Amino acid sequence: MTFSPDDRASELRDLFFESAEEILQAMNDAGLALEEHPSDKESLRSVRRAVHTLKGDSAACGYRELSELAHELEDVLTPDLVKEHAGLIAEVVLTAADTFRDMLAAYRSNLQPPDGGALREYVQRLLRKPATAGRGKSSEEATATFSWTEYERLLIAESFRRGETVYQVALHLASEAVLPAAAYELAKKALERAGKILALRPENSGDVVNGGLLEAALASTKPADWIRNRCQVPSVVAQISVNRIPLMETEPRDVLDILVESEAAAVSASVAGQSADLGEIDEDDEAPLSSAPTGLAHAVAENTLRVDAGRIDTVMNLVGELIIGKSMLQRTIAEFERRFAKDALRGKFSDALAFQSRILNELQKSVMKIRMVPVEQLFRRFPRIVRDVAKHLNKEIALEIAGQNTDLDKSILDALAEPLAHLIRNAADHGIETAGERAAAGKPVNGTVRLDAYHEGDQVVIEVSDNGRGIDREKVIQRAIERGLVSATDTSRMNESEINHLIFTPGFSTAENVTEISGRGVGLDVVKSALDNLKGSIEIETEPGKGTTFRLIVPLTLASIQALLFHVAGRLYAVPISSVVEITRITEAEVHRVDDHEVFQLRQQVLTLVRLERLESTEKFERSKRVFVVVIGAGSRRFGLAVDKLMGEEELVIKALEDQLVTSPLVSGASILGDGTIVLILNIPAVVSHLTRIPAVGATA
Amino acid sequence: MSAKIRVLVVDDSALMRKLIPQVLQRDPSIEVVGTAMDGEVGLRKLDELHPHVVTLDLDMPRMDGLEMLRQITRKHRVPVIVVSAQSDRGASVTLKALALGAFDFVTKPPDAASGRMDQIAAELAQKIKVAAGSGAPKMIITVPPLKQKEQRRTSMPNWPTRIVAIGISTGGPNALQYLFSQLPPEFPGCILVVQHMPEGFTEMFARRLDECSAIEVKEAQSGDLLLAGRALICPGNRHLKVRRMEHGNVAILVDQPRVNGHRPSANVLFHSVAQEFGSNAIGVLMTGMGDDGAEGLGAIQAAGGMTIAQSPDTCIVDSMPRAAIERGFAGRVVSLSNLSSYLQAKCVAERPLTEQANQDSAAAILTTASGLRRRS
Repeated sequence: MTFSPDDRASELRDLFFESAEEILQAMNDAGLALEEHPSDKESLRSVRRAVHTLKGDSAACGYRELSELAHELEDVLTPDLVKEHAGLIAEVVLTAADTFRDMLAAYRSNLQPPDGGALREYVQRLLRKPATAGRGKSSEEATATFSWTEYERLLIAESFRRGETVYQVALHLASEAVLPAAAYELAKKALERAGKILALRPENSGDVVNGGLLEAALASTKPADWIRNRCQVPSVVAQISVNRIPLMETEPRDVLDILVESEAAAVSASVAGQSADLGEIDEDDEAPLSSAPTGLAHAVAENTLRVDAGRIDTVMNLVGELIIGKSMLQRTIAEFERRFAKDALRGKFSDALAFQSRILNELQKSVMKIRMVPVEQLFRRFPRIVRDVAKHLNKEIALEIAGQNTDLDKSILDALAEPLAHLIRNAADHGIETAGERAAAGKPVNGTVRLDAYHEGDQVVIEVSDNGRGIDREKVIQRAIERGLVSATDTSRMNESEINHLIFTPGFSTAENVTEISGRGVGLDVVKSALDNLKGSIEIETEPGKGTTFRLIVPLTLASIQALLFHVAGRLYAVPISSVVEITRITEAEVHRVDDHEVFQLRQQVLTLVRLERLESTEKFERSKRVFVVVIGAGSRRFGLAVDKLMGEEELVIKALEDQLVTSPLVSGASILGDGTIVLILNIPAVVSHLTRIPAVGATA
Repeated sequence: MSAKIRVLVVDDSALMRKLIPQVLQRDPSIEVVGTAMDGEVGLRKLDELHPHVVTLDLDMPRMDGLEMLRQITRKHRVPVIVVSAQSDRGASVTLKALALGAFDFVTKPPDAASGRMDQIAAELAQKIKVAAGSGAPKMIITVPPLKQKEQRRTSMPNWPTRIVAIGISTGGPNALQYLFSQLPPEFPGCILVVQHMPEGFTEMFARRLDECSAIEVKEAQSGDLLLAGRALICPGNRHLKVRRMEHGNVAILVDQPRVNGHRPSANVLFHSVAQEFGSNAIGVLMTGMGDDGAEGLGAIQAAGGMTIAQSPDTCIVDSMPRAAIERGFAGRVVSLSNLSSYLQAKCVAERPLTEQANQDSAAAILTTASGLRRRS
């Protein structure tokens, strides 16, 4: 197998972008953890590891800007600097995650990446010592260091021994001097006139710049002033400092002690300088074998295969075709059994079929499992959103997350990302009151937004709840009427749940003022339509002053459903079996009219009766006729569906209908049975909303 | 080569887990049999896949690289090549890893453009082959406990009797640590070391050696005096030379181009030592791959100095000393365990190098000179 270099590079880049996403998520997680506990070492280590990996990976892919920025950041993320700026660190990490994300987005579309100025600013702030020592130094001229090599020190010592006086001389060259090299030579000449040069820095005239510094160790018998005068070179030397090196008049033995001490001190100082680094590594060393999983641990387990989602979809489609093939076979065998009731092959056929069905079932389940991912993948994004909203609005909001291990089809999860983010922003923005309001209402100042997920039969329920102010129904009604969404008479007939659902009507928004966070001109209707697309539903529970819960109910998977099939007016329909509450029979005489609704009584309950054919035409029915009624539960609502003939239960592989083929919004999809018959799958939420609209339509028409 | 070298790549970066195998597979004699994202998985795969060589990133979540290395050396005895970052922290961890028995290391430079990556790949592939050839680590040198400060350097600074120049590469850190820890504080020679190691690693390396030796070990700076009981390590990416001066002998660092791909180069040091000190020089070529230093050892021999090759059976990789032995440049072949006593015996020489009439006055000067350090 050979790759062209281009293929290889682009493959690597894809991999890089993918793994970079995980790295950024880890940074976000750790950033939030650091916000809570700025001194949490494990989180800091996780950030450093993330930045480190990002640096190496981006360098390997040739993304220099990103690599350099990551490098700068990594350098300042030392335990020491972080300790000094504990309050800043979380902000830095989160900003870094954002900056890197922007840069990655730019690279992905082959654009020039942003320069990450905000992050650089933070890095600078981290580097800034609490004391302004660094700044003072930069404004000043270079200072003399007089760091002589050992050999030069030896020369100085010998000079002492000969009884000479040794001076350290620093000459600041004038900044507007002639050629720096010429200035160097002039200054050096001056020094030679003043004494014997034992050591000189820089050693070569080429290494000096205008405004630079010449340092010398000068042996002389003359006093310091005399040397200073000798070194005056107008317009070359701007400033002169001459210091005598004091002669050490101690006994050699004592000097030796000093030497040993000072060396020991030097060694221990240099060791101390490293100790932060080394100390930390030592800690690593001592970490027990079974060290706790760290920030990145949940990134990916090894033995994980990354597969393009499209390929799984292909497999899923093929499995779907197989299922259709199975029902074809099933029907053929049923036909065979009818025709040749005595044939010995019958039993063999049904055994083979049973075996095949079982395997097919397993196969389908396995393929579906491939698509299943824990909702945690999605939930991990939300702490950041809540934090940002809370910070922006100056509220105290905690986000509680539960049920993050609940599995859900990846495509459903992806489709839920936006609606959920919207609901969470809404909860934090509109749901949770300001600290003042909360205190006045006698509630704890900290608001809570709760995110939960769990399985319920074939469905997955995701709840977004807050302990905020709840939905003010009066206001909702008022607003709905103002906006012309409903009439006053309609509202008088509506129950609580129906009123709550008004907030999902397009064009509705109760926010007093449109805020930057949730009022972007899109309302909750977007959430609703997203769920309709997923064949899901949404419920609201709210109690003024106590809070609101949005309950999103979505199917486990979009690929296939267990469905109840029935005929209405010559057409074959199906509804998900999970939405069927019960099946009953009534006579037409039991159907009553209330306003424009047809209703019937089921035990103690009065339910609306829906006739699918009636939704399109109005035909008379014989009152004595007995009809089957399929009682459907959609969220908290129930209604009956009048059907002509029940056709039984079957597993349907859903085929998406092309837009132009969908003649009615009440149908969400179609499937093909084994014999080639087309079956239409009812869109229950759409039927429900149609129901609530019929009266209004009826009143005006 | 009969069978392919089976390599396990352990790295926490998904990209590196892809990239390293990809570049290694281009070498027909290497087969990457598996990858792992952390130490735990790595150890499991080690049991399953039985690789010949492991490449290991030290900075990993969960069980980190050092812990994994510890377990590999304890149980599996598979050579490990550390892939480390070129940074202070990277250097420190890498040196630890070498002390724990890692075979060798390569560094990922922070500015790895694609071109550099190929170069690193070539280096890695070469080291993998050598590691696979060497088999299990021959000797894991136990790190001697840190000496107490009082125990060391109680003697006066002194001129050395001889100049010992050491050239060393793969397997060097542990071998030097072993050698230096055996030398007494009053070791009369001055040791100059060219250890093939990148920039940024040598300073920390010198510091580590200093901590576990009675002699003084420091990274060489230009102008450092050649003193008895002192070892100067050439900094990475520079060359080390020596120069006789009027008042004493010094080390100097130069930035000449690479010699046979090496900077520092043992040949450069050996030639310089041969030229300046002739018969007072001792050249030692120790463990390492390639043949750097062999020819320079010949120059020391020609100048009348003593030449020593570490015995191949005590080397992690023996090609450097072997190259000297084969060319007839090694006057003696000495095992690592005997090297310290051999050097001591050879350095306790008749007369000091520098013609100082009065040892005591020299000591006084040196003392005063060193004392100056405190003030500057």
